[in-house]
Amino acid sequence: MASEHYVIIGNGAAANGAADILREGDPESRITLISREFFPFYNRHRLRFFISDEVSEDELVVRPPAHYREQGVRLRLGQEVQRVDLKEKILYLKHMEKVHYTRLLLCCGGWPRIPEVHYTYRQHFTVLKGLSHARAFREKLAGIKRVLMVGGDLISVKMTDTLLRMGKEVVFMVDRDSFWPLTLTDEMRAGFAERLTGHGAEVLVDDEITGIVEVKSGYEVMTRRKEKISCGLVGAFFGLVPKVEFLYSSGLDIDRGILVDDHLRSSDPDVYAAGDCAQIWNPELNNYWVSIGWENAGILGEVAARNMLGESATAGTPKDRALDYEGVKVNTSWWQIYD
Amino acid sequence: MTDRKHIDVTFRICGAAGDGSLAAGSFLNHAAARMGYHIMNIDLYPAEIRGFGKSVAHTRISDRPVQTPGELADCLVALNDPHAISELNTLAEGAVILYDSNPPNYVEEDEAVAGFVEPGMIGYGVPLGELSAIATKSARSRNIVSLGALAGIFRIPAEYLRDAIRARFSRKSAEIVEMNLRAFDLGHDYARTELVKADAIDFGERVPGARDDVAVVSGNDAVAKACLDAGVRLYAGYPITPATRIMEILAKELPKQGGVVVQTEDEISAIGHAIGGGFAGKRSLTATSGPGLSLMSEFLNLAVMAEVPVVVVNGQRGGPSTGLPTKTEQSDLNIAVFGGAGDSPRPVIAPADVTECYELTVKAFEVADAFQTPVIVLTDLFLGNRMEDITWPEGDSGRWGRYEDRLADPSDGEEYRRFEVTPDGVSPRSVPGTPGLYYPATGLEHDERGFPEYSPENHLRMTEKRYRKFDTLRALWPAPEPEGPDGDLEVGIISWGSTIGTAREALGHLNAGEARVGGFFPRLVWPLHNEALRAFSARSRVLIVAEGNHSGQLANVVESIVCREIIRVTEIPAGPISSRKIIEAAGGMSG
Repeated sequence: MASEHYVIIGNGAAANGAADILREGDPESRITLISREFFPFYNRHRLRFFISDEVSEDELVVRPPAHYREQGVRLRLGQEVQRVDLKEKILYLKHMEKVHYTRLLLCCGGWPRIPEVHYTYRQHFTVLKGLSHARAFREKLAGIKRVLMVGGDLISVKMTDTLLRMGKEVVFMVDRDSFWPLTLTDEMRAGFAERLTGHGAEVLVDDEITGIVEVKSGYEVMTRRKEKISCGLVGAFFGLVPKVEFLYSSGLDIDRGILVDDHLRSSDPDVYAAGDCAQIWNPELNNYWVSIGWENAGILGEVAARNMLGESATAGTPKDRALDYEGVKVNTSWWQIYD
Repeated sequence: MTDRKHIDVTFRICGAAGDGSLAAGSFLNHAAARMGYHIMNIDLYPAEIRGFGKSVAHTRISDRPVQTPGELADCLVALNDPHAISELNTLAEGAVILYDSNPPNYVEEDEAVAGFVEPGMIGYGVPLGELSAIATKSARSRNIVSLGALAGIFRIPAEYLRDAIRARFSRKSAEIVEMNLRAFDLGHDYARTELVKADAIDFGERVPGARDDVAVVSGNDAVAKACLDAGVRLYAGYPITPATRIMEILAKELPKQGGVVVQTEDEISAIGHAIGGGFAGKRSLTATSGPGLSLMSEFLNLAVMAEVPVVVVNGQRGGPSTGLPTKTEQSDLNIAVFGGAGDSPRPVIAPADVTECYELTVKAFEVADAFQTPVIVLTDLFLGNRMEDITWPEGDSGRWGRYEDRLADPSDGEEYRRFEVTPDGVSPRSVPGTPGLYYPATGLEHDERGFPEYSPENHLRMTEKRYRKFDTLRALWPAPEPEGPDGDLEVGIISWGSTIGTAREALGHLNAGEARVGGFFPRLVWPLHNEALRAFSARSRVLIVAEGNHSGQLANVVESIVCREIIRVTEIPAGPISSRKIIEAAGGMSG
């Protein structure tokens, strides 16, 4: 085992959960985390509190750099894997360095999703996935009164609460497929709308953007039902798409995300995937499913790591776990470990 | 490090010899100084010929005066990855690394500097080679592209850097100038449009105060200008790092003033020539380094014995022997003060910074003439090569004393005693060939008229006379003004030469807190002002001597004068001594 080099692409909950298990299970191995982001592992759930200036950037950090040094984990930040050679087990980094691995874990997360119907407006949208987005969000919020939120995923409803607490006026345009790949039922949308309205947001249901014009004070958004919404920022919250483009040439089986079995093993026996980037075989559903969420990702990272160490762990879906926004429940495929 | 109120950024531009890292550093220095920033730069390069080894331009830019080049860098520019990797231990926490994001070939693991961007560092990848090829059809302008990128990332006003590039290439064709400006612009535009800023360094397009009178010069440049302004007529020397630059400048400029530069066959010949010039009544000098000074020691004794004015500028480097030709050290104090046979007193002057390289070289010629003695000016590789922003001094401020030449009266005739024993040790000097003022000049002990005389009584009288010059010099040269608080001190720091800046930086740091720390920084390092030194010692509970050698060469001298225990902060790190070491030593002793 001394010659193992576990490489993990990603530095989120799944990646760090996996690194812990790998280090514990194989103390002599080399472990490398490679992340496109510059920042150390931080709490994405708290980004909205950073935006509202309730916590600092430092307070977002879950693991300081010293942790990795202590654990003997090499952390490569701001580095991008451009392609993977599965046969030679080599990662080709964008800055023209080759990294050899013996086992690879893909925890590369997802990009903010912009539905095709809204793609033409993408340059006007402000998204929120990572810290760099949060910085931009925070900067743009300064000095504006009104925000238009479009979509309706988990982050957006929480963010709306934060914006209202900050004294911003919020217009919330609930989109039907914001929980992609789930589609909200009319009942769910109505539930969200009721609760958001109760918090002070103006909620638009069954409406859609027909045009956005950038003006000096921000944006003028035309909708199908209401003529014009003036706002300083348009937040787009349509969930995530797995960040897997760099794997297209590798030969791995990929659908929306990386296809893995319930042991989180991909079509290559030495490559695993966990978190937002993976489409995981669910025997109960008899289909693949995309997992989302912070807690979920951490659990899946542990499952993958155990299997990389030679154990046999699987992930299951307890039926009673669901996203709960003030009583509106959406099953988001929470996973747990079954040994 | 930079904070919101102040800019204080240290850059290291690292490449293989020939990559243009030193040129890029030079552009940065000149531009920053023109903007009104203070700079201190030291170039680190291999001893070998171009094409081998690592070259590093280390530049600190601050909106406040700087005493040192800064120990750790805030930004590393990697023009050669393997060399840059070896520089990672010189980086401060949170440092920025600028690297070529798209080199022509893949490298193996751990051979790319970008792979070492660790948590707490910030990496910016710029396709240096690609952009260079677009601008100049070659990779040769990667250094200029990187400068543009730095300007873009840190919002350094670009026009000043563009001016520096124009000035540097002004003698080349317009096409060359334009190609390099294009390379700069491509780097700048790439940084502004493609990079996401993640660091806190922001010059903010601010210009502290544009300066047209600023000169960006090295210690060696300053020494050379001092020679020209002091009216030197003869330079004789043998090339040696780090002193060669002085000869290069004088070879070009001295003939314009009617002077002569002779490249001799070795250092012995060089000092011989210079002594000849001094004997003939013309201001003369040689410049060398430790190995050369060793060779000159016997001829220096001749100048002491024959009382011939001559100046030797010695740029110290790592020794002994050929040692470390391109690494700095302060380890020639012993040979400067004590080198040679017999009791051989000669003043030794050590400037602390580039401005003082000018002022004290001029002063060295005055002292040499006034006291009819060889004077050694001790610089070092760090001081000689480092660049600072200065304003050339106007006239003699008098802060280093005033000295007058004592010439013989031609009417003395046969009564003329060239080596007359006088109360101040200085005898009337004549220029050979002056009617009536002939005298024998020899390395033998002599009587007052210059004739050999070996009696113990005469030898004692003449030796005492030669040493009395020291008492006179000490009376004319202002004693060092102690720095720091008045009254009793927890720690007294003594230092000399280029380490004075480091010691001052430590002093400022320590006194910003509760500590009471003082500094005693002699420029006339031999003879020392013993009484002033003892007085400083008496005020100091603990005495530290900080210097860039291993054995504590000044500490040994100080110890013999103050007769007490000395804490020695001695370092030979191949670069300038670090203020952190002094702070640690003083911090441990105070309170």
